Amino acid sequence: MNIFLLLTISIAFGIGTFLILRRDIIKMIIGIVILCHSVHMMIVAMGAFDGIKAPIIEGSPDKGSGIIFQDSLSDGILAPVVPHTTEVLHMDPLVQALVLTAIVINLAITAFLLILAYRIYEEYGTMDADELRRLRG
Amino acid sequence: MTLLDHVVVLLIAIPILVAASMVIIRPYPNIQKWLNLTVSIVLFILSAYLFMQVWNHGIIVYDLGNWGKYGIILVADLLSSGMVALSSVITFLALLFSIDYIEKKSLNSTYHSLFNLLVAGLNGTFLTGDLFNLFVFFEILLIASCGLLIANEKLEITPSSHKMEAVYKYLVLNIAATLFMLIAIASLYATVGTLNMADMAAKIALMNEEGTLPWHLIPTALLFMVVFGNKAAIFPLHFWLPDAHPTAPSPVSAILSGILIKVGAYGFIRFYYLIFEGNLSIFQPIIIFLGLATIIVGSVSAVGQDDIKKVLAYHSIGQIGYVFIGIGMGTVYALAASIVYLMNHAISKSMLFLVSGCIVHKIGTRDMRKIGGLSSSEPFLGLMFLIGIMSIAGLPPTSGFIAKFVLFDAGIEGKFYIPILIAVIFSLFTLFSMFKSWQRIFWGEIKDNTFDDDTHTHENSHMMLLSLVIMAIMILAIGLYAEPILAITIETANQILDPQAYIDAVLEVEVR
Repeated sequence: MNIFLLLTISIAFGIGTFLILRRDIIKMIIGIVILCHSVHMMIVAMGAFDGIKAPIIEGSPDKGSGIIFQDSLSDGILAPVVPHTTEVLHMDPLVQALVLTAIVINLAITAFLLILAYRIYEEYGTMDADELRRLRG
Repeated sequence: MTLLDHVVVLLIAIPILVAASMVIIRPYPNIQKWLNLTVSIVLFILSAYLFMQVWNHGIIVYDLGNWGKYGIILVADLLSSGMVALSSVITFLALLFSIDYIEKKSLNSTYHSLFNLLVAGLNGTFLTGDLFNLFVFFEILLIASCGLLIANEKLEITPSSHKMEAVYKYLVLNIAATLFMLIAIASLYATVGTLNMADMAAKIALMNEEGTLPWHLIPTALLFMVVFGNKAAIFPLHFWLPDAHPTAPSPVSAILSGILIKVGAYGFIRFYYLIFEGNLSIFQPIIIFLGLATIIVGSVSAVGQDDIKKVLAYHSIGQIGYVFIGIGMGTVYALAASIVYLMNHAISKSMLFLVSGCIVHKIGTRDMRKIGGLSSSEPFLGLMFLIGIMSIAGLPPTSGFIAKFVLFDAGIEGKFYIPILIAVIFSLFTLFSMFKSWQRIFWGEIKDNTFDDDTHTHENSHMMLLSLVIMAIMILAIGLYAEPILAITIETANQILDPQAYIDAVLEVEVR
C-alpha cells in the first residue's frame, strides 16, 4: 500500500474523530462525512493487491498457460493466480463497485442528517449537542 | 422454472416495488391501505411457503445473475427463513394496528412506503449471503426506521422535538457502527479475498487447519461484535435504545423492539457460528459476559422508570441479554433455547408495545404517574397487558415460561451455573418491574385523565384490538403446546452448528 495514501487515510480518520467529539452539530456532521471518506479511501486501498492475485483475467483460460483457477490454501494460493511471466490485464474492480455503493449510501445519510440538524435547530433554537437532553434516556 | 422458484428474491423485490408505487398512489389513501395489507399477507404466505420448502428440501440458494460465489447470493436456511417468517407475522400485525393509529397525514404521505422499505430491509438482511450486501440492507433498515420514528401519532402525544433528539442519537450512533462494519469488511476482504460468507467460512476454516490464520482476523471479528451489538443494543452500546423506542409511534416501536434488535442477534449467530466457527472458543465467553451485563443493566434500569414505554424499552435491553447468553453457551440445546427466546420476545414485546399504544390512545399520556385504575373502564386491555407481562416475566402458561425454562435448562445441562444464577436473579427484577407497572396502570385509584375535547374519538378500533388478540393467542398457544416449536428450533440449531451444509450449498452453485 502506498505510504502517502496510508497517511492521508489515517490523518482524515483522526480529523473526523476529532470533529465528531465537538459539541456543535454541524461540526459533528462534517466529522461524520470526513470519517466516511477516510473509510472509503481505505476500501479502495484494499483493492491494491501486490503480486500474485488477479481477480479478473482477460482472454480465455487455456491449460498450458499456468493460470490457476482453483483455490489451494495449503499452498497459500487464492484463485485466480497468474504467473509473473504471463502478461495479463488485472485489477480489482470489486472494491470500486463497493466504494460507489458506500458513497451513495453516505450521501443519503448525510442529506438526512443535515435536514435533521435543521429541524433540531428549529425545535431547540441551538446547535449545541449538549443542549439536547430533554429525554434523559 | 415457475414463479414459486423465485420466492427468495420476491420477498425482497415485492416490498421495494410496493414502496415505490405507494409514492405514486399517494392521492388514494384507501387503495394504499388495502394494497399494503394485501401485500403484507402475501409476504407472510410467501415466507411460510419458503420456510416449508427449506424444511422439506434443505437449504435454498438463489443466485442473482449467475455469478456464483463471486456475485450477490441469497441463501435461505432454516434460521434465515424462520426469521423472515417471524418478521412477516410481526410486521403484518403492526401494520394492522397502525392503520387506525398513525395520523392520517403521515399515514398517507410517507408511512406506507417507508414501512415497505423496512420490510424489504429486514427480509434482505436475513436472506443475504454476502457480507457487503448485509451492510447495504443495514443502511436501508437504518434510514427507513429513522423515517418511521418521526411519523406522527394521532393526538401528538410525543412532541416532535423529542423525536428529533431520539432520531439524532439513534442515527449518529448507528452511523458510527456501520463505519466500523465497513472497516471490518474491508480488512476481511483484503485478507481472504471474498465477500461471500460461505466462501469466507471455507477459507478461514482451511487457514485454521493449516494454522496460518493471520492474527488480525480476530480483532476484525471483534469489530463485528461492535456492529451487531449496536444493532442489538447490548450493554455498552445500548444508549440509543431507551430514547428511540419509546418516542416512536407504538406500532413502529413494536417492529423496532420486536424484530429490528433481533437483527443483531441474527448477525451474531450467522457471523460467529458460520465464518469464525473454528475460533468460537475465543468469542463465547465474551458473548456470555456481554449478555449478562446487558441483563443486569436492562433489568435494573427498568425498575425506576415512570414512562410506560420506557419500561418496555429497558426490558427489551434486558431480554436481549438472555438471547445472548444462549448464543454464547453454544450447545445445540442452548442455541435452540436462544431462538425460542428470541421468538417469544418478538411476539410478547410487540404485543406489549401495541397494548401500551392502546392505553396511550385512550388516555393521552405515557406517564404512569398520571394513569390509574384502568381495569374498571378497560378490562380487555388489562387482560391483554397481563398476558404480555406474564410472558415477558416468564410465568406459565405463556411462551415466556417455555423460553426461560428451556434456556435455564440448557445452561444447567451445559454446566454454566454462574451465568444462569445471575440470569435467574435478575429475572426477578423483570418480574417485579413488569407487575409494578401493570399494577400502577390498571389498579389503584381512578385518575381522571381522559381528553376533554370531543373532536377526536379515543376508543380503540376493532382492527387495533384484533392484532392484540392474534398475538395473545400466539403467546398462549406456544405456551401450552411448545413441542412443534422446540422441534423446529432444535433442527435449526443443528443446522447452525453444522455449517458445512450451508457452505456446500453455496459453493455448489455453478459460475457462468
